[in-house]
Amino acid sequence: MAVIESSQDIVQSQSPWREAARAFRQSWAGMLGIFILILVILFTFVGPFFYPVDPFEIIWAPLTPPGATERAPLGTDYLGRDILAGLIHGGPATLYVGLVAGIITITIGILVGAFAGFYRGMVDEFLMRITEFFQVLPALLFAMVLVTLFTPTIYVVSLAIGIVSWPTTARLTRAEFLRIRNLEYVNAARSIGAKNRRIIWRVILPNALAPLIVAATLTVGIAILFEAGLSFLGLGDPNMFSWGLMIGAGREYILDGWWVVTLPGFMIFLTVLGFSLVGDGLNDAFNPKLRER
Amino acid sequence: MRKTGFIAAAMAMLLTASAASFTQADEQKNGGTLVLGTTQKARHLNPAVQSGIATAVPGTQIFATPLRFNDKWEPQPYLAESWSVSDDGKSITLKLRANAKFHDGKPITSEDVAFSLQTVKDNHPFKSMFSPVTGVDTPDPLTAVINFEKPHPAALLAMSSALLPIIPKHVYGDGQDPKSHPANNAPVGSGPFKFVEFKPGEYIILEKNPDYFIEGRPYLDKIIIKNYKDLTSLALAIDTGEINMYPFLAPTKDIARLKKNDGLVVTDRGYEAVGPINWLAFNTNNHYLKDKRVRQAIAYAMDRDFIINALLGGQSKAATGPVVPGSPFYADAAEKYDVDLDKANAMLDEAGFPRGDGDMRFQLTVDYIPGSAELQKNVAEYLKSQLKKVGIDVELRASPDFPTWAKRVGGHDFDMSMDIVFNWGDPVIGVHRTYLCDNIKKGVIWSNTQSYCNEEVDNLLNEAGSELDQAKRIALYKKAQEIIVDDAPIAFINVLPYHTAYSKDIGNPPLTIWGAMSPLDEVYIK
Repeated sequence: MAVIESSQDIVQSQSPWREAARAFRQSWAGMLGIFILILVILFTFVGPFFYPVDPFEIIWAPLTPPGATERAPLGTDYLGRDILAGLIHGGPATLYVGLVAGIITITIGILVGAFAGFYRGMVDEFLMRITEFFQVLPALLFAMVLVTLFTPTIYVVSLAIGIVSWPTTARLTRAEFLRIRNLEYVNAARSIGAKNRRIIWRVILPNALAPLIVAATLTVGIAILFEAGLSFLGLGDPNMFSWGLMIGAGREYILDGWWVVTLPGFMIFLTVLGFSLVGDGLNDAFNPKLRER
Repeated sequence: MRKTGFIAAAMAMLLTASAASFTQADEQKNGGTLVLGTTQKARHLNPAVQSGIATAVPGTQIFATPLRFNDKWEPQPYLAESWSVSDDGKSITLKLRANAKFHDGKPITSEDVAFSLQTVKDNHPFKSMFSPVTGVDTPDPLTAVINFEKPHPAALLAMSSALLPIIPKHVYGDGQDPKSHPANNAPVGSGPFKFVEFKPGEYIILEKNPDYFIEGRPYLDKIIIKNYKDLTSLALAIDTGEINMYPFLAPTKDIARLKKNDGLVVTDRGYEAVGPINWLAFNTNNHYLKDKRVRQAIAYAMDRDFIINALLGGQSKAATGPVVPGSPFYADAAEKYDVDLDKANAMLDEAGFPRGDGDMRFQLTVDYIPGSAELQKNVAEYLKSQLKKVGIDVELRASPDFPTWAKRVGGHDFDMSMDIVFNWGDPVIGVHRTYLCDNIKKGVIWSNTQSYCNEEVDNLLNEAGSELDQAKRIALYKKAQEIIVDDAPIAFINVLPYHTAYSKDIGNPPLTIWGAMSPLDEVYIK
């Protein structure tokens, strides 16, 4: 019996994903992050069913402080629109930008990094020069230029953020590929005649994925901050309520109504904190050396 | 540090000033520096070829014009000591002052007047100012006779402020393009102040012209026009005394705050001629907006009082028609479109656009000028919320910068747009352009971008533009305005809350109809 039990233990510990999941559950940072994110998601996606107020509707006198009227529990902004409704409806747009920009970042980053790291030589040189070109451009400035060239809609904003943030991921992927490409199991795959495509996507990438997942999670947080920055500069989409837009439009009224910018700012803070903590937790989970310490 | 330095300098100036004019207590005193703050950056200093506040404020100090206006819309002698309009209205004779000299010492002759008028006619963006001019006769050096193809009552106003600066022919007549003439950055004029230094985007320094043609003036020694990067630091600068005059002050929060400063006077006088109106323009070619009832319904749906009192802190006046209140041509009787949602809904039903999906009738976009959020973006956001109540789904179209907006609206690529348009004194200059059929010019911003065309309005405006009798003119404009307001190519919202904030120790602040865009030769420091 005891032998069987211990062999089960061994089987369990040999599946790296399950082991990582267990380690993640033990990481307080990761669990706190998940908890915060679940709260934020519940707030913004379930909130509208309990609080069906149009965020664009002017419902009360402008700049009413929180608690002054039941109609607007968290006060109103400079037009008299409900802040609470704005916070609820601003969530999806903010998360959308974060996720889409994150996906764009990871996709471009992995593609460029994988090819550069695997093929090396001329391909590497070429792709890395492009990456460096994007890396030396000041990201926020470059995103501003992109948004300015096109109409500031939520899609353009997401795309712009994605386009400026992929170089880090590309470099990370390339480093992982360079490390793994000559390991024994890759050579083994090559020796049994696996095609390059198979080696890249089926052999190397799964083994390089752990740090990339951590990076992806952090990227979402950074993208949300980016969107807030662009909106703050007046380059957000005025037809989509986002927390960044609320801050950007309300910043002139900070002396007359602190709640106009503070509350959406707090939501951004919570969300980014959530993503960062999850990233931390994933890092703990995927990094066996850290885990042993 | 800076502030102390300024105070010390001001004290020193005050001491010398009071010593100089010790005998005339509470009279105008000589000396002192006027530091005027602005965020508007001048490209150059020649108002003959450039409109706009940034060039007009320094331009009116450097260049003198034939006439100037007081605060009652009455022309006053300036470079011309007298003028007369012929009985048929087709010529104006100007008698120039004999002692008037340019800053380089050369006398001003009627040749300069003729040359300046031709330059303005050929190059200034306000084409209607002098388009009826057929030529200028110069029978003697001090007499200029301006001939018109038809009576042109707007000419008197167009000879004041920054609209007809008398520029020296011996400088500008060298065949170079006046728009890019090197003298535009260091101009030679004949106004109360001489050019000293111009650092684009930073400051303009002007000093007293000792040979000014009006005896004893100007009182000030120096005018410094200082550029600020943003409105917040500009408001702070007047609040702390770093500058002593802030014209064209518009953010309503700053107005309210500066009014509480005991050392400052804040007034809305001095903007009657500029006549800046904030409005919502309709593209009358739009499928929905070509119906007059739809445009009227939108006008009825807007709550002007809410915009003025809640969004603009009550610091602005209502605009109800093409001409700004305060102008002699303002028509009060026109329909005001006071908010009435039921009426608006009924009119939209009647126009054949019933509510459909999601209780909405149709969708329209609204553009706005980027930058002045309070007057433009916020009102556009308000419209989105308000027009939803009458079943119009409004989508805001943000423009990242001014040229983008101008290209869209100028190119007629819009449904509705917020816009700010100036009257510029006489309706011929600033009002006609928005409504005349032949001014529908694709690609030109602030032309008739609404594509509005009504023959009756055309006839009335053209007739009023060449009517010499003021009472008849007013009646014609009144009629034209009533039709325009009824046709509603534009929903008029408010007059821009322009104010001038100035230090209490400034005497004779510029409160004529042209405000700070007039010669500041009477201003003194107490």
